[in-house]
Amino acid sequence: MKRSLLLSLIVGVFLSLPAFAQTVNVAWPYQLPPDGHYNTYASGAINLGIYRDLMEPPLAVYMWSKGEYEGMAAESFGFDADGNYTVTLVSGYTWSDGSPITSADLVATFNTGYLIGWSVWDNLESVEAVDEQTAKFTLGEPSLATERLILTQNLTPASVYGSFGEKGAALKASGAASDSDEFKAALEELTTFRPESLVSGSAYVLDDVADAKAHLSKNPGGINADKVAFEDVVAWNGETETVFPLLQDGQLWYATHGLAPAQEEALINAGLDIIRNPYYSGPAVYFNNKVEPLNNPVFRQAIAYIIDREENGFVSLGESGIATDYMAGVSDTILKTYVSEDVLDSLNPYYVDFDKATELLESLGYSKGSDGSWVDGSGNKLAFELTFPAEYADWSAAAENAAQALNDFGIEITARGVQFQQHVQDVYDGNFELAIRDWGAGSPFPYESYLVPFRRYNGQGELAGEGAGGGMSFDNNVTYSGGEINLLDLTVASSQGTDLDKIKADVTELAKAYNELLPAVPLWERYGNNALNRGSLSVPENGDPIYQNAGLDHFMPYMILTGMAKPAE
Amino acid sequence: MIQSLSGPVDTRPWWQKLVQNYTLRTFVQSLFTVWAVITFVFFLIRLMPGNPVEIYVNYLMNTENLTYQDAYNRAASQFKFDPDASVVQQYFVYLGQLLRGDMGESITSTGTKVSSQILRYLPWTVFCVGSALLISFLLGMLLGMLAAYFRNTWVDNVISFLASIVSAVPDYIWAILILIIFGVQLKWFNVGDMRGTYDPATPPGFNLPFILSALQHAILPITTYVLGSIGRWVLAMRGSTTSTLGEDYVNIARARGLKQNRIMTAYVGRNAALPLFTLLAISIGFVLGGSVIVEEAFVYKGLGSFLFWSISQRDYTSMQGVLLIITIAVVFSNMLADLLYSRLDPRVRVTGDK
Amino acid sequence: MRTFWPLLWQNKVGLIGFIGLVFYLLLITVFQWMVGFDNEVKLDQINSPPGSRLVLLTRPEDKDSYTKLQDLVGHKVGILEKSGAPTFLEKSNVEGLEVETYRWRSGRGVPESLEALAAGEVDALIIFSKLVRRYVLDPSSRDYKVSLSHLTVSNPKLGPALLLGADTQGRDMFTHVINGGRILIITAIMAGLISTAIAFILGTVAALAGGIVDRILVAIANFIIVIPRFPLLIVLAAMITLNNWLLLATLIGLLAWPALMRAIRAQVLSLRERDYVEAAMALDLSRMHIIFREILPNMMGFVVINFVVAITTAMYDQIGLIFLGMAPINDYTWGVMLYFGRSRGTLFNIDSAAMLLAPVLAIAFFQVCLVLFSRALEEAFDPRLRGAA
Repeated sequence: MKRSLLLSLIVGVFLSLPAFAQTVNVAWPYQLPPDGHYNTYASGAINLGIYRDLMEPPLAVYMWSKGEYEGMAAESFGFDADGNYTVTLVSGYTWSDGSPITSADLVATFNTGYLIGWSVWDNLESVEAVDEQTAKFTLGEPSLATERLILTQNLTPASVYGSFGEKGAALKASGAASDSDEFKAALEELTTFRPESLVSGSAYVLDDVADAKAHLSKNPGGINADKVAFEDVVAWNGETETVFPLLQDGQLWYATHGLAPAQEEALINAGLDIIRNPYYSGPAVYFNNKVEPLNNPVFRQAIAYIIDREENGFVSLGESGIATDYMAGVSDTILKTYVSEDVLDSLNPYYVDFDKATELLESLGYSKGSDGSWVDGSGNKLAFELTFPAEYADWSAAAENAAQALNDFGIEITARGVQFQQHVQDVYDGNFELAIRDWGAGSPFPYESYLVPFRRYNGQGELAGEGAGGGMSFDNNVTYSGGEINLLDLTVASSQGTDLDKIKADVTELAKAYNELLPAVPLWERYGNNALNRGSLSVPENGDPIYQNAGLDHFMPYMILTGMAKPAE
Repeated sequence: MIQSLSGPVDTRPWWQKLVQNYTLRTFVQSLFTVWAVITFVFFLIRLMPGNPVEIYVNYLMNTENLTYQDAYNRAASQFKFDPDASVVQQYFVYLGQLLRGDMGESITSTGTKVSSQILRYLPWTVFCVGSALLISFLLGMLLGMLAAYFRNTWVDNVISFLASIVSAVPDYIWAILILIIFGVQLKWFNVGDMRGTYDPATPPGFNLPFILSALQHAILPITTYVLGSIGRWVLAMRGSTTSTLGEDYVNIARARGLKQNRIMTAYVGRNAALPLFTLLAISIGFVLGGSVIVEEAFVYKGLGSFLFWSISQRDYTSMQGVLLIITIAVVFSNMLADLLYSRLDPRVRVTGDK
Repeated sequence: MRTFWPLLWQNKVGLIGFIGLVFYLLLITVFQWMVGFDNEVKLDQINSPPGSRLVLLTRPEDKDSYTKLQDLVGHKVGILEKSGAPTFLEKSNVEGLEVETYRWRSGRGVPESLEALAAGEVDALIIFSKLVRRYVLDPSSRDYKVSLSHLTVSNPKLGPALLLGADTQGRDMFTHVINGGRILIITAIMAGLISTAIAFILGTVAALAGGIVDRILVAIANFIIVIPRFPLLIVLAAMITLNNWLLLATLIGLLAWPALMRAIRAQVLSLRERDYVEAAMALDLSRMHIIFREILPNMMGFVVINFVVAITTAMYDQIGLIFLGMAPINDYTWGVMLYFGRSRGTLFNIDSAAMLLAPVLAIAFFQVCLVLFSRALEEAFDPRLRGAA
């Protein structure tokens, strides 16, 4: 045993160094200079999406399977006895411009964020350095949601943004309104600021941006630089269709670009593996409550019984489109950690059931005509338009399938694709009857999932300015079998505080009400179908708990930074 | 004195000459068209659903998983864009800017001049699409003439058949097929190395490695453009030539015993090409627009994908800039075509006002 | 026109085009009533290649005893729910089968049913050929679960073959190609007629009238040419929805004429100076006579070929409008097929590429037929061509 280990070590040292590929190939779309630039606080920054962590270190990564944070730039962190929050950074590391990583960077980062309106500041009074590596966050009130907003932040250098941080802190202290002249002047200075390069504190530094690919080389003084297994990173530019040939050709090793089942199959045939990680979200059917009878929960329940969600998920996304069992507006996986087993069992799964749907529709006074279509008391057909974002491969397929199921059942559906940016606008404006939009959210806190139907698509968002419609016009004051509640208020309440039992009670009530009223009918949960070339990249097998990470805690940058991702042998 | 040798003396006063000068009038009319188009475009693009802030909110929520609140705060504070500002007022500010030769700043890329954005992408598009158009047009004319000349023989049949098929297949399909079949499956080229406009290892400059690299990277997009467009030139040229073949002067030329070659080039080709030059003029204008699909497929970043990107971001100022350049190119290439008719076909008198 | 039929008969290539067009005509009228439209979602048949079909799978020792459904009367047959097998069984009308249905479970039901067959829980399995290839026949497949020594295909031709394979919902694409032409072709011909007619009339008028009329018409054409299509259509899509193919055709036609109009104007400017036109003008013949008797025949070839190209362009314009949501997807045309095929990346997989290639080739061959047929038309309209070259 010992000898073989020694042998492999020796062989490894002699053979591996020159032979192994030292560049990891990933992909993320970006804009080229001059549209793309290196000011990470302004739109159009070339920070490579989830791979930003490779350059600007996150304070911590939330490990979904364990339910706890793992420090990256932060060595230790936690609530103080007085309810405030303290973060201590790791020491002994430097930015790529040579300056050391200290608490000054932490202060500069959050104060600069104040200028561009980070929502963490809703519950944050100030950030102050306590010593060389430690900073104290003075909170309005202790909150788990605020903790997440602090810890998932990426650290940026004070050597670059320090002056903006000072301005932010001064404006916060003076209480200047965001539309005051001094605030606007500081903001304009920040958004037009164009640094020469992206100064890195993490393991890699961006050193070349061409139209085909961006190149990152090792940042020797950066955090995690001693752990990574690759000397370089190449990030290929482009969307799915553009990077697909590279995947098939083996030049690109890992891509998070959503693949359609046909593409997925072609890659599997080319020898690639598919990582099916949860996104904790997916498509749902939204209803415009200004349209009768879409405002009736009983009618929406009938719709839920008609659509075969398992079939819908499979035709849309193959093995990555998984029908949800709880139908409670939050991913099943997340819900399980908040809601007790007996409540979960009591939730209606709405498995496809035409008899039940018929019964519900008849209870509303509809009847099925001789030609097989449903009509109301005065003989008018039940007919609606279902819109969907035309460019989204999986949602358009879900819409096509749902429309087909409803048409077959006798509810006349006209399906129509809408250019994707216009579609979301149509829904915000209440300019739809039935629409496919997203449900759920890649956050461990259910409140973010519930904000989607109750606020974002419900016309109460800040976009509801002049001329805007009310989204789905769903009345958040509802009466359900558990009593009378305001769904949005309860959602907001569930985002506050650190008392997990209270949050659980709120979420349980929200789940029960959602399941009964179905403000939107979730079709299925999207799992990733991220293509992975195991011939080149060695990472844990499918099913490893690391793949439960989602959203800001994406597993691939974490695995690259911690050395879990290695060149394949 | 010289004038009197070449024809009757023009006795009109200078101002009348100026007003009646055909070239000048065409130029003024073209300017007017450009103005009409940019005005229309200015209001049109603001009628599109959504605005830069709303689009950016959705982008942040989707890609960075920000909460709605966070995304909106960030988006609203980023852009110098006020959704409530008077559009008419903005229009006059824009016209004023244009008169000073200033296209303004990009909305979504704060602080970046639209002119610098356009200059970044324009040369590549002109080079790539321009060469493709030239190849496609010349080759298409040649094949079309061949087909017409050998009417109803196997040459014509083969050319017509292939041209019809090729022109009915969208360039999207050509792009993907080229990449997947010749790149991935047959490995005729390396799909990674052929992407982009040039190899990062050979920085732009007037030297052989860079020029070779630029040529190499343009081969695939040019091939795709040519495949996507040549069929129409062939078919149009064949149709046009066929019409000309029946003309009396062709028959007379034949009767005079002129050589076929001479008839084809001097008589038929010249006349048949006339309407095609009009189509060419229109196409030259659109060279600047590029093709989003081809540019995206080969990551050949040109004006087409930039325009598409700025439309999708609702970056009004960048959009206006690109569309202005395209408009000017189309309108003035049409104007040139008009002026050139009389050169190509001496019988044409476009100047004639009846 | 009296000479048209004999001419067509002599012009073999034109005749082929004509026959092709008749075929397309039958396609959009008769055939689609003969071939139904497969609208049944079959999860086992998603993205399957041309020629694939349901097969019968048994254990090797039963290879010869169970080859038809009739052989299985009194025995247990396994099928998968949500696959094509239940409908197939229903249609085949064989009574006395003991049917065991396995749940689909996002595809995990397939290996379960195969293992059940190997273990002897059922005697045969009605299963789709693509699944057999993936789970049984191809040892290099990631999903290879059951080797041939345990299972054997006893009847590789149990169900009818899918001529063009199945689409992203497992539906028979052959029926879609047969059914998908009508609206697309009618709308495209309509749109092509509108744009070519406008282009011809305005082009001729502009060239003959000259002066201010010419200037205004050219300015309008330039204006429409330059208006960027994508923003224009996005704005229009937000304002109107086109449920009616006539409206669709009109919109496409109204946007498509200017380039051709300019080309025709150039041609007429040249023809105007010909002796026979000048003679006609000197004789004070009517404008109509000059346009249709003197000018049109002299540019017929050019006009006809552009009409043909305009039809194909109009087809792709319709597809663009589907992408923009201006046309609904309920009428399952080749355009909708192309739209779904493209948005679902079917061209990247050889098994499913037919979903894009079939409608594109259907459109391409339609254009070929039109081009070939237009040759016969040329000669009919332009008698001078008959002897030439």
